[in-house]
Amino acid sequence: MAAPTTSIRLTRTALPTASRALARPFPPALRAYHSYEHDPTPPYPPTETAILSDALTHLPTHGFTHESLRLGARDAGYLDVSTQLFPKGAFELVRYHLVRERLDLKERVQFPDNGGKSLGMGSKIRTLVLERLRANEPVVHRLQEALALMSLASNIPPSIAELARLSDEMWFLAGDTSVDTSWYTKRASLSSVYAATEVFMTQDKSAGFAETEQFLDRRLADLRTIGGAVGSVSQWVGYTGWSAINVLRSKGMRM
Amino acid sequence: ANAEKLHMIEDESIDLYTVAFGIRNFTNKDVALREAFRVLKPGGVFACLEFSKVNNALFNEAYKRWSFGAIPLIGQIVAGDRASYQYLVESIEKFPSQTEFRDMIQDAGFLVPGKGWEDLTGGIAAIHKGVKPAR
Repeated sequence: MAAPTTSIRLTRTALPTASRALARPFPPALRAYHSYEHDPTPPYPPTETAILSDALTHLPTHGFTHESLRLGARDAGYLDVSTQLFPKGAFELVRYHLVRERLDLKERVQFPDNGGKSLGMGSKIRTLVLERLRANEPVVHRLQEALALMSLASNIPPSIAELARLSDEMWFLAGDTSVDTSWYTKRASLSSVYAATEVFMTQDKSAGFAETEQFLDRRLADLRTIGGAVGSVSQWVGYTGWSAINVLRSKGMRM
Repeated sequence: ANAEKLHMIEDESIDLYTVAFGIRNFTNKDVALREAFRVLKPGGVFACLEFSKVNNALFNEAYKRWSFGAIPLIGQIVAGDRASYQYLVESIEKFPSQTEFRDMIQDAGFLVPGKGWEDLTGGIAAIHKGVKPAR
């Protein structure tokens, strides 16, 4: 009688661990690189995505607050307490909005004749920045709340990362193929231009955001001026430096 | 009530289930987690505050020496009860780590937010959260 009961007990303890290993879902593949064949990995798991996308519909009325998150949870069929899924609270709403608008940029902007071969890089970047800013129009009156949340100490690293990804996305869609240090300088300069223009837009009351467009044009012109000035200065320094070294060598100094 | 058998609470009738410094004393934590899953409504939250494993190896050394050396002694001197405080530090030692407990919570059927827990004071305590999926 003892043998059968021990064998039954063994199988009963063995089964739960096997089914436990099968039941736990594999984490979604986190791909750090861009792929043409596959869609980008969603930033949040399906449940959080459902709540956040429903919460976005409440942004114009309730802004980037816990209230929007709570109403979004209700719309998605969850309880108010389900907002515990978001450890950073309203900032997750900001981050979801940023990621959604960044991924939508590809759909919103389609350059004519095979990727805009005839347009200049500058005009393509201008179009992309303006299009991304127009995507903010439904929530522009609440955007200062989003900026305030992004400026909190613990939220600064992910916010800057998102800005860098947006800048990278815009250069990629404009068709940038640089492989030297200008890759970094282009993205850094576009990040600062975009951030400044977005802050300007939050207080722009003109019709059709015409003043924001002019602000953007002035910032892009500044970049060209500074770029030209830095190039000229480095050329002058290089020439003068090498001339000085050669003069000293001609005088007999070993250099 | 017995956390492993909450017979007086109906299925799917509770919004929030919290347990603070209790779950390490449960005989069968998996059964208690499944019972919590049963009584929570879809979308309900299970939140647990419990002693956990310290992250930093150096701090852990100091913490263990304090736990096993000083705490039972203080219990003996102040409360006259060395045995309870010895049990306390031993039960802390036996409690699973943050990742193991997070996996146990997921196995019971909960979804975990982010990485699933939040360390307090370098891992001396941790808050674990789980959300019951909606239908």
